[in-house]
Amino acid sequence: MRLVITSLAVVFLTGVAFSENPSAKRVLAGYEALRPSAKDLAMYRLDWAESLDVALKRAIRENRPICLVIIFAKYGDMASGHC
Amino acid sequence: MIEQLRPYIVTAWHGHRNDANVPEAVRTVWNWKFQGQRNSGRVRQSNVDIALINPKGQVIHAFDGFHPSTPESETLGQYTARELLKARPKLGRFNGPRGKRPLILPGLEEGERGIRVFVRLWEDRMVAYRAPVVEVVPQQAVDWKPLAWPAKERVVQASALKPWLSQIYPPGVMERTNPQTKFVYAIKSTEGELKLRSIKSGGNNRQAILSGVVSLTDEGPNDFNYQGRIEVLLTYEQGKSAPRTLRGYFDGLYPRWDPRHKETRWLSLQAAFESLPE
Repeated sequence: MRLVITSLAVVFLTGVAFSENPSAKRVLAGYEALRPSAKDLAMYRLDWAESLDVALKRAIRENRPICLVIIFAKYGDMASGHC
Repeated sequence: MIEQLRPYIVTAWHGHRNDANVPEAVRTVWNWKFQGQRNSGRVRQSNVDIALINPKGQVIHAFDGFHPSTPESETLGQYTARELLKARPKLGRFNGPRGKRPLILPGLEEGERGIRVFVRLWEDRMVAYRAPVVEVVPQQAVDWKPLAWPAKERVVQASALKPWLSQIYPPGVMERTNPQTKFVYAIKSTEGELKLRSIKSGGNNRQAILSGVVSLTDEGPNDFNYQGRIEVLLTYEQGKSAPRTLRGYFDGLYPRWDPRHKETRWLSLQAAFESLPE
């Protein structure tokens, strides 16, 4: 029974995939290829504070250390990466 | 390295030595750096430093973000991990992480709609440039109008999509910084005639594709510009004009000036777009 259900599911899903427009599939494939992977975005797994002031207050309250990135520049947005 | 950073609250600060209100922690690090008390004899320094601060607010270790004298066999990640290890004994007792944090990308406020833009410059000489940029651009109802359902194929000017297309520029490219203000040259124009055509018009999942070449020009001298091809898939609910979702990409070339060899290097500049909320 499980085999029958699985086979039906495969046939159904294959049908859905084949009914997709090739142009749409091409664009989505391009998007998937260029969107960074979870590994590439690992810095967003860190516990970021919006400013040093906020980090210092939290450090005392939570008894945790701070990693401060200092950029010698007039602009820089570490949250977005445009720095 | 990410695992070693988990106990830390991470934050960033940027500025110059003569700025008002330079934080005490930054002054401490720059005193070490510029007075030669740290890594004396070193000639090259980058403009990025990393300071590790204990829960009492005291800097207990600092190091250059891009150690120039690191052996070539050591990656930037390995070098950073090594420096983080040096600080561990000096930190004293602190609370550890409560568990693995989920991946939290920059997003929007509750109820807002917008477009997230991922940008990457495939610089082969400095891997740091390859780190992805993630920008989020809120979109109001009026901002979606240029992408309204195309009952007939039509042209959309890239200038109408400037708020999010203008995020396609690389990170940290110093030659595109105003030498007086030290601020990056913003993208002043996005140009190109893009074609918007429907590819599926029935049902509750109507689809259209936006495609064409976009030219981006920044506000610096000599009309510095670069181009790339864009393709975006839009979906629409039945009876609604504004797009429900947007997914797409930009694939272009960025001309980076190499002062050492006095030549322009053409680097791949790519972006991916997705509408929010997902």
